[in-house]
Amino acid sequence: MTIISARPFLAVAVSLLAALLILTLGNRVRPNVREGITLSAAVIKAVLVFSMVPAVLSGKEYYFCLWEIVDGVSLAFRTDPVGMIFACVASGLWIVTSIYSIGYMRGHHEKNQTGYFAAFALCLSSAIGISFAANLVTFFIFYEMLTVATYPLVAHYRDDKAKASGRKYLAYTLISGQLFFAAIAAVYVIYGTCDFRAGGFIEPGSLSAGIMLLLFFLMIGGGAVKAGVMPLHGWLPSAMVAPTPVSALLHAVAVVKAGAFCVLRVVCYVFGPSAVSWCGGDKILAWLAVATILLSSFIAMRKDNLKARLAFSTVGQLSYIVLGISVLAPYSIAGAMFHIVAHAFLKITLFMCAGAIFVTAHLSEISTMGGLAKRMPVTCACFGLASLGIAGLPLLAGFVSKFNIIRGALMMGKPLFAAVLVAAALLALSYLIPVVRIFFGKSGGAENMASGADGVGVHEHTAHRDATPAMLIPIVITAAISLILGIMPDAGPHLYDLAIMAADAITGGGLIV
Amino acid sequence: MSFFSMDHVPVLIVIIPLCGAALCPLLSRFGPSLGKRAVIAALFIAFIMSLVQLAYVIQSGEAVHYWLGGWRPPYGIEFVIDGVNGIIIVLVSFIGFMTALFSSPFEEASETSPFRSAGYYSILCFLVIGLLGLSSTGDAFNLYVFMEIVALSGYGLIAIGEEKGPIAAFRYLLTGTIGACAYLMGVGLLYSATGTLNMADLTLRLREVDNLPVIAVAMACIIVGFGIKMALFPLHGWQPAAHSYAHPAADPMIAGVMIKIPAYAMFRFFFCIFDSSLPMMKTVFTIIGIMAVLGILYGSLKALRYDKYNKILAYSSIGQVGYIALGFAIGNFYGIAGAVLHILSHAFMKTGLFYTSAAFKYRYGIHYTDQLGQVYRKMPVTCAALVVLSLSMIGLPPFAGFFSKWYLALGAIRNGQYLYVAVLIISSLLSAVYFFRIFERLFMDEKTVTEPDKTATSAVPAAPEAKRAKPEVPLRMLIPIGIAALMVIALGLGNSFIVNGILKTTVMGVL
Repeated sequence: MTIISARPFLAVAVSLLAALLILTLGNRVRPNVREGITLSAAVIKAVLVFSMVPAVLSGKEYYFCLWEIVDGVSLAFRTDPVGMIFACVASGLWIVTSIYSIGYMRGHHEKNQTGYFAAFALCLSSAIGISFAANLVTFFIFYEMLTVATYPLVAHYRDDKAKASGRKYLAYTLISGQLFFAAIAAVYVIYGTCDFRAGGFIEPGSLSAGIMLLLFFLMIGGGAVKAGVMPLHGWLPSAMVAPTPVSALLHAVAVVKAGAFCVLRVVCYVFGPSAVSWCGGDKILAWLAVATILLSSFIAMRKDNLKARLAFSTVGQLSYIVLGISVLAPYSIAGAMFHIVAHAFLKITLFMCAGAIFVTAHLSEISTMGGLAKRMPVTCACFGLASLGIAGLPLLAGFVSKFNIIRGALMMGKPLFAAVLVAAALLALSYLIPVVRIFFGKSGGAENMASGADGVGVHEHTAHRDATPAMLIPIVITAAISLILGIMPDAGPHLYDLAIMAADAITGGGLIV
Repeated sequence: MSFFSMDHVPVLIVIIPLCGAALCPLLSRFGPSLGKRAVIAALFIAFIMSLVQLAYVIQSGEAVHYWLGGWRPPYGIEFVIDGVNGIIIVLVSFIGFMTALFSSPFEEASETSPFRSAGYYSILCFLVIGLLGLSSTGDAFNLYVFMEIVALSGYGLIAIGEEKGPIAAFRYLLTGTIGACAYLMGVGLLYSATGTLNMADLTLRLREVDNLPVIAVAMACIIVGFGIKMALFPLHGWQPAAHSYAHPAADPMIAGVMIKIPAYAMFRFFFCIFDSSLPMMKTVFTIIGIMAVLGILYGSLKALRYDKYNKILAYSSIGQVGYIALGFAIGNFYGIAGAVLHILSHAFMKTGLFYTSAAFKYRYGIHYTDQLGQVYRKMPVTCAALVVLSLSMIGLPPFAGFFSKWYLALGAIRNGQYLYVAVLIISSLLSAVYFFRIFERLFMDEKTVTEPDKTATSAVPAAPEAKRAKPEVPLRMLIPIGIAALMVIALGLGNSFIVNGILKTTVMGVL
């Protein structure tokens, strides 16, 4: 059942408006007013998004069509369950990241904050647009908007390093975006439609297998780049030069998840499981994901820079989602969808902790962080909790998604993938738990600590404090939510139910009794 | 049923600016800015009338035919306005009007005599007249006349430009004349074969001509003629210098519109006049396609090599004109819709970008992109427009450039011409390189320019508060810049109104 309502569109528009307001007024009003715009837009957006959850849960869909954007295709928004999941995560976390951003950017005395907050708002508009887009053209419009809006965030520091990683980011995303564009045009010419449909609209056998595989990978490429599937992950670690809240946004909420979401849409809503497995795309994608999971874990172990280690962890975790999708089993698809949620909360906690450590203690290398827990107990505790969640320990959010992916893989008779996921959990433990041990160990790097404190002499009086509330509260919130979602996956907006509903619609059965 | 008598509107759109252009030097004798105002008013009236005319054409659903002096075709000259050129006439008169407005701060700053300044407005107006006539006419020889008016005023506007302007104008004069001669020769051949110059009549009579070699040679001549005028590779030689050194205020018109209208005329010849069932048409379209592909690649690659802002934009135009030709080479509805949409959207994009270039010159004397560092802090609106226009040039949604590319890609895929799709993609990526390089310089480089002495001295007597309240460039410049950027967004979001509402009936009728 469809409800015609402007709400999905308004959810997109509110942050677009906020971005415009911030850009035009930003330098003329006091920073508090400017951040007030960000926060009020974030709250309005979250209210709009979450208010649609009950109807979607009861099987209805909100639909809003603006006008025909190209001949035969409309600029249209539809809130199907999977779109709801991504929109809830993105809009919910925007509030948290905004508060954190304010604390971080002010604590770190960053320049160009107006452009920063405007681009941030634009990114969120695009993310919501991506999640609610009802067809490929609308999707692509927001997908490219996200690419462009993220660029100023990646290149925020405007020095040579930032320029280089900005260029790298653009090279990866624009090239894959253009190929995606060609594939969309081809699909539209061949099939005469661009509308997403659960289970896909492409019939197996309607093209030769080779051509279909080519089209599939041209499309998937757009998602795989943003989701950091190897060998297309190169931009992600180098985008680490950006301020930490950007990393949190890039690596946990908007950009990489948009990539994973794109993979989900293409596999499940354009091609459909049957066409994908007919042309063999699922196997290639699954093995790429497996390789990414394993390789990224090994690389992460060797990184001493905390953000870099987290970046490679992100690369691996996103491939869980890709793997879950490409297994094509109902439970694994549901698990992949839920992993969008779980990983978002876990990884954003980790990144916000890394940022808080950087701003408060001025430390970025893991080996210098010995005994940090004495000084920043709450931050370090949250970091430890989220690390265990990333590894997939029960009672934490990561477990629910991984369990479902493994369950799906076993049901499809693919025990190897299940084994990879178990191995990956151990690998994740092996690169994150040492960090926690260093935090809670003795102050091994005493001289480093001293030099860290010396370097900032002025901040001496804050040396024994944890992060400022503006940073600490968001960390605690996200850590708490990851715990709650692990114990009760259906708490709050019933995201787990939504995932099951979506997977059921895609595979046509069995999950909802 | 029309509230406005349509009887003479098609010709008045050309005649009224003609009066303005002729009166301008005369009026400047009586008051320094009277001539300018006459031109601006005439262009504004032409713009309003062109809107009325377009509304009429859309409403009535059929083409308007106007016989000059009441002489019936095929003996008299005829203006034919259908959906496609109706909208192009709106475009020309609108951008002409905006450019005339945009010019006035330059003319005031250049401290030339009012009479010379009136000459400038007069020539600019003649350029617009030529372009309006070129789009309106239904007569092959009359088209030549208007093409010469365009060319002559173009020579003038390029020659009064920057230091190398006269050389660039001379080069354009030489190549432009060859182009005009080639076109004239082509028309002469067609006349010898059919005995008529009226386009509609030509269409009918060419069906009966069985002397195919004559038609083939005529086609070749016409491709060369229009190819030179629209700067289609490899006939583009005059264009980069001309676009770089023309009068900065007239450059937007020259770069944005002057090279598009011959492209439209080319569409007229190859889809309305020549019989598309001729066996040689396939070859002709392949040749146009090859020229377009090479032009797109050449223009984009050459643009990478330059630091001079205008040069980058000029070479980018060679590539972008290739898009239009590519649409003709594809030749199905989507191809042509993409080409016409690109005529419109690229007109606003390139005009707008040259506006920003002129604004940089006006405020800081900036000619090179490496001087742009941090300029955005001083000129936020101009730079915001630059970002929007550039993103549209790259072909990113939701701006106009993306949608013309979308239709071109649809057309090419429908015909199975995958090479064309690949070229579109490569060109987008190359333009991303040179436009994002401009962004990097603009937003990330160290500040390099300071306020020039001229504005500093003029600001000394004024109170500091008054100086702060002044916009970054005079409003007469800022508003056209803003409108160009907004039009790019509007054309992008509203493209299906143009494609479905206006182009579909006309283009489908032709195919």
